[in-house]
Amino acid sequence: MIALAAIGAVTVGTLGLGAWGVRFVRTTSDLLVASRSVTAWWNAAAISGEYLSAASFLGIAGLELQLGASALWQSLGFTAGYLALLLFVAAPLRRFGSYTIPDFAEARLRSPRLRPLASAIVLLIGGFYLLPQLKGAGLALQVVTGAPYWVGVAIVAVIVAVNVAIGGMRGITYVQAFQFWIKVFAISVPACVLLIHFGGLPGRAALFGEQLPRAPAHGLTVNLPGRQAVQFPTAATFTIGGRRVTVAAGARRTLPGGVPIHLPAGTAVPVAMGTIAQTGARWSRPVGGTHQSSPLLVYSLLVATFLGTMGLPHILVRFYTNPDGHAARRTTVRVLSLLGLFYAFPAVYGALGRSLTPQLYMTGQTDTVVLTLPRLAWPGTVGTLLGALTAAGAFAAFLSTSSGLLVSLAGTISHDVWPRLRREPPSGMSVRRWRFRVAALCAMVIPALLALLAQSIDISILVGWAFAIAASTFCPLFLLGVWWTRLSARGAAAGMVTGAGIATVAIFTGLALGDAQTSTVGALLAQPALVSVPAAFLVMIGVSLRDPASADVAAEMLALHAPEGLGLRLADDELDSGFTSELLT
Amino acid sequence: MSSDGDRTPPSLLSPRQELADSTAHGEVYLRRLRHAQLQLSLLALVAFGAVFGVLPLALYLLPGLDHVHLVGIPLTIWIMLVPLSPLFIAIGWLYARRADALDAAFRDLVQR
Repeated sequence: MIALAAIGAVTVGTLGLGAWGVRFVRTTSDLLVASRSVTAWWNAAAISGEYLSAASFLGIAGLELQLGASALWQSLGFTAGYLALLLFVAAPLRRFGSYTIPDFAEARLRSPRLRPLASAIVLLIGGFYLLPQLKGAGLALQVVTGAPYWVGVAIVAVIVAVNVAIGGMRGITYVQAFQFWIKVFAISVPACVLLIHFGGLPGRAALFGEQLPRAPAHGLTVNLPGRQAVQFPTAATFTIGGRRVTVAAGARRTLPGGVPIHLPAGTAVPVAMGTIAQTGARWSRPVGGTHQSSPLLVYSLLVATFLGTMGLPHILVRFYTNPDGHAARRTTVRVLSLLGLFYAFPAVYGALGRSLTPQLYMTGQTDTVVLTLPRLAWPGTVGTLLGALTAAGAFAAFLSTSSGLLVSLAGTISHDVWPRLRREPPSGMSVRRWRFRVAALCAMVIPALLALLAQSIDISILVGWAFAIAASTFCPLFLLGVWWTRLSARGAAAGMVTGAGIATVAIFTGLALGDAQTSTVGALLAQPALVSVPAAFLVMIGVSLRDPASADVAAEMLALHAPEGLGLRLADDELDSGFTSELLT
Repeated sequence: MSSDGDRTPPSLLSPRQELADSTAHGEVYLRRLRHAQLQLSLLALVAFGAVFGVLPLALYLLPGLDHVHLVGIPLTIWIMLVPLSPLFIAIGWLYARRADALDAAFRDLVQR
């Protein structure tokens, strides 16, 4: 109940603050004026607030619990992505003055025909990224209230869609910055309190030694929510509803739901099918502990996160609240430190969870460790309060990220896709606002339906796909578009189609084959960036080189690279930023 | 990079006018800035790759590091958790300073 109240408070607070803020910043020019008084720290907190999603708040700890220390590469990659963004695109893109990726593609390459392709990829990435947010919401509400999974998915989908549609919670800098600090507070305080309470990390043999996760000294009693197929890593004698059962090592059983299952002290816990029982020594190896942490897979994940961050549609738009290129650089450096601060904490939950809540290996719901650990490990008021805090933080993560994503998706649909479906003359502001609302509602439906199907896939894996597609499409577009004058529209299109094609086909092939990640090929199907990113670059460069050297690009290069303050550039107010700039208000 | 400043093309127009008019000379000024910025970015990328890019392979090839414990936690975990974020921030901070300096030098050149 306390947790539910905390979730409600965060939700109402977020929506209320959004609605209140919107009254103050109504128009684009208000925003541009306001943006000049926003400091780099505020901007950095706002970017981090929009960025830290279910994958960061729940997914990393969940993946760590399941796979081991190799999950930490993910948080490092999520941070390092901003270094790539800083080094290659932050200042030039801010100076160029396009608010969205389709705007950039069209303006830099002077090709209106690139716009629909870029829009389609925005929808693909946004959809893949929205899915795990909704999955996280379903899980969180299930854990907190016991409601079925679909209830949480539906509630968050409806809240976010309606709220974006009626105009609340558009990426207002101060609201997003506030969200960041809520998330840091909600993940750091319980982590520190739990570490102090347990005097550091308990059960080190299961973390770093030769032990499997095992029932604690007083045994472990679990009520499974439903029937669950498990595998016993060692021979065990235990009771199901008071009846003694003995199984051999490696035995597979389907355990009943709703009946107390009691494992005596020291019994290695059975693991849900699809999870691997690992000794502490293997679990704590960052690379090469299991096939799921093979060096190839680690490198592929790092490529996807390092290069994919710059291609996330909801992040790019935030950079326009920086007054100039210099400020964009300063802001990005601050983002690096804020993310470094946040990512110090998820690892604590994975490690504590392995010792203190081994039952999560039985249910297979490792993604819920951040939510359940405080309550299960420390029964009583304090544990309940800490659990309420992490639940509230998780909801802050779902709300802020999915709102930002949905604004990008709905903007793309209403601005780029819809007018193309029916060839109409340019329409007035009220029609466009109405379209944006309908688009916001529609854009939520498909990810929400997919989230219902994707219940068994780890949040981190789902987000990894969004990064892989972004890295194989928009990353080469930005890097080559900003730094290489020869890039042609045909080359850019061919490269993005290649990258998106390889990444999507690999992901769905991997899904169709199931748990085939045992081989090199399996690893690359699960995280295809290591192949799809170089392929996209090669095709983009190759096709561009075969095109005749493009017409004069001096104006574009001037816009991208000339520093401000020389009187050479159009001021922001003079740029025709169109409807998309309204999305920032 | 800064030595390029001595070889500015002789011209009657001011550099700023040349840039605004996108003359051949103006383009040369801007190309120099762009190349200098790209060199700086690639240098920072190499510094980053030399540490972080090599790390997974190094940890893979040196499994013995897992057995070295510090305060009861393997050294590898410490390496993953502690020094990398500060490294990213340091590279980013140094890069941003140098990149701003290149922009400032260009501004001085053009406004001369």
